[in-house]
Amino acid sequence: MLKKCFSLLVVTALIVVLAACGKGNEAGQNGNKKVTLKIIHWQQENINNYIKGFNKKFEEKYPDVQVEYTTVPADSTYDQLMQTRMNAGSTGDADIIPLKFSFVGAPQEWSKGAADPMWKQWIEGGLIADLSDQAFIKNYNPTDVKNAMTYNDKVYGVNMGKVALTGLFYNKEIFEKYNLAVPTTWDELVNVMKVLKDNGVEPIGFGGKDVWPINLAVQGLQASIHDDQLEYIKGLWTGKTKLTDPVQLEVLEKTQILMNNAIGGFMGIDYGTLPSLFASGRVAMIADGTWDATTIQTANPELKFGYFPIPGSNDPAKNKNLAGKYDMTWMVLEKSPNKEYAIKWLEMLSEKQNYTDFVNAAGFLPTQSDVKISSDFVNEIQPSLENFKLSWDQLFINRKNVGQYIKEASVHAEFLAPAGPLKTPLELAQKSQADWDAAAPK
Amino acid sequence: MYPFGKGAARIMPYLLLSIPVLLYLLLGFGPSMVTVLFSFTDATGVPGQTWNFIGFENYTTFFTSSDSGDRIASIGRSLYFAVAVVVIQNAVGLFMAILINKKLKGDVLYRSVFFLPVVLGVTVSGLIWQLLANPLGGPAQALLNFFGTSSNFFGDYDIAFELIIFVQIWMYMGYSMTIFLAGLQSIPSDLYEAGYMDGASGWKAFKNITFPMIAPSFTVNMLLSIIGALQTFDIIYVLTGGKFNTTTLAFDVYATAFGSGTSDYGLASAVAMIQFVFVFTVSMIALYYLRRREVEM
Repeated sequence: MLKKCFSLLVVTALIVVLAACGKGNEAGQNGNKKVTLKIIHWQQENINNYIKGFNKKFEEKYPDVQVEYTTVPADSTYDQLMQTRMNAGSTGDADIIPLKFSFVGAPQEWSKGAADPMWKQWIEGGLIADLSDQAFIKNYNPTDVKNAMTYNDKVYGVNMGKVALTGLFYNKEIFEKYNLAVPTTWDELVNVMKVLKDNGVEPIGFGGKDVWPINLAVQGLQASIHDDQLEYIKGLWTGKTKLTDPVQLEVLEKTQILMNNAIGGFMGIDYGTLPSLFASGRVAMIADGTWDATTIQTANPELKFGYFPIPGSNDPAKNKNLAGKYDMTWMVLEKSPNKEYAIKWLEMLSEKQNYTDFVNAAGFLPTQSDVKISSDFVNEIQPSLENFKLSWDQLFINRKNVGQYIKEASVHAEFLAPAGPLKTPLELAQKSQADWDAAAPK
Repeated sequence: MYPFGKGAARIMPYLLLSIPVLLYLLLGFGPSMVTVLFSFTDATGVPGQTWNFIGFENYTTFFTSSDSGDRIASIGRSLYFAVAVVVIQNAVGLFMAILINKKLKGDVLYRSVFFLPVVLGVTVSGLIWQLLANPLGGPAQALLNFFGTSSNFFGDYDIAFELIIFVQIWMYMGYSMTIFLAGLQSIPSDLYEAGYMDGASGWKAFKNITFPMIAPSFTVNMLLSIIGALQTFDIIYVLTGGKFNTTTLAFDVYATAFGSGTSDYGLASAVAMIQFVFVFTVSMIALYYLRRREVEM
């Protein structure tokens, strides 16, 4: 009896150990059983709902496939999930992984010593499938394919569309009530905020607790104040421009003015509550990306709202265009055991009708041509999108192991009063420049 | 004498113990050794990427790069966190244990209530406090508004870290209390009776009888809370994500390995090694003094 128990124990232990080391998903390749196609994604309600519906359609067309769709919060939780699933390699933990943006941020010849972004390391490590020869890539605009999906002349991803992120959502009813027009210059914006405040309306809401939503407003100011953002960024590397330059100080000063007009406690508000804060009418404007338009609409279907580029400059011509990024890029894992089905999934999603439905659900600007946009919101902001520019975070390349005042997104307005401990823009600018200089490659 | 019988069966306990030893070597010790190895390389953790031995470069980076100031500040913050947590948590835990030991009515209820946060786990506790501190109509904000002031709580540079310390203490004070309670209940009551005869009661009795007698539970509590505090990562992740100057050395390990879209396993391993040396040194010093106290008694 005892011996039996003992051998049972040993066998169980061995199974646990072997299961941990061995390759999973063997069953998936067995002809009789269903193939599980694993897709991970970040949480964004409108898009998640569309993909769930699409997965059902896909399963109907391919009855031997079962789609497993996992979503996690969009912050660093998703970055981490993406990284661990990608590193798991061929064990079949994921077959399709979307990138939060497109293939941007690779070191340029002017940014010697910059760190490689994760996607570049993955492509170079042979983890991402080459989609260059797939017929459905031709559905997309050649320029967008080149800008967003291509690296080293090969197509490694399918980009689902563009989003603008440098504007402010505004409540049309509140604006009408106080006879306010959409501001086209900085002075007009300051006046709008003053009128709202005088009437006891909170002008602006930020998702300060997550920090990056403040940076959306900063990027709006950068896009309209700088003449050429890329030239300025290149200059930082060569020493031709400094973070203490008047133009950058202007960005920080104006950010501080925006924050001084923000709703009290905005540093405690997380990004997730921002749409409902706006939809309930508690603030007149919020700094957010166009992708949240559908979320706001769902939160309050009665609400009338619009979106305008943050006018950082007093020259209306410089404030006219929105800036943004290529959003969501699907990548197929090269070593995935279900690569074939993963590509079929992308193929079906790229079909005109499905793609159109997706873009309308997501509120993206299409990367395929002749797509009929049903959203009034997107059609209304169309004039600001004609000369769509890339936003600062898509252009900026950072140095390695750089200090906290310029880490990651590069402008850290959260250190600036009233959000943070630094009183003046100059203080923050000098600290950022010091961190930047200290990180210079030796 | 031999619960497993005689002869060959005598090796049974060893065989049984060898299973957890094997698992530990495979899943615990092995990866730790790989961390040591990685800390001398430029490994990124991405499969298919080559990695090279680069000597002590990661350690030099830790102490000399642009963000070294932030990193050293996070070591300071770890110490501050540890001191505050160890002192307050144990003081509160001991106080509660003494009160409960008075054989109050309903002491079982008190015990479970104070121990509850330990059972709830970090994420739930974090959520509770975030909801309480919600700046849009949360109860804490309403209370502050009543007094004519307001706060950003976990989004405030001035108090975010102190609030985390508070939540950490709230979470684990029941744990300290339980260990102290076990110590208190092992003190024979005739000691107090004898002490009473000699005129020792109240504070005197506590200082001369209770405190020396619970020395072992004191050592256990101090060590557990020192190590626990220096390794705290989870509650910071849940409450602020390391923003607003709340990064500690333990959080830095995570941020370097997984944060901000790049992965630098080599540097992260070096940070982990520094963290290990730091925790080891502090706990050894603490252990030395705590053990000496026990012996003197």
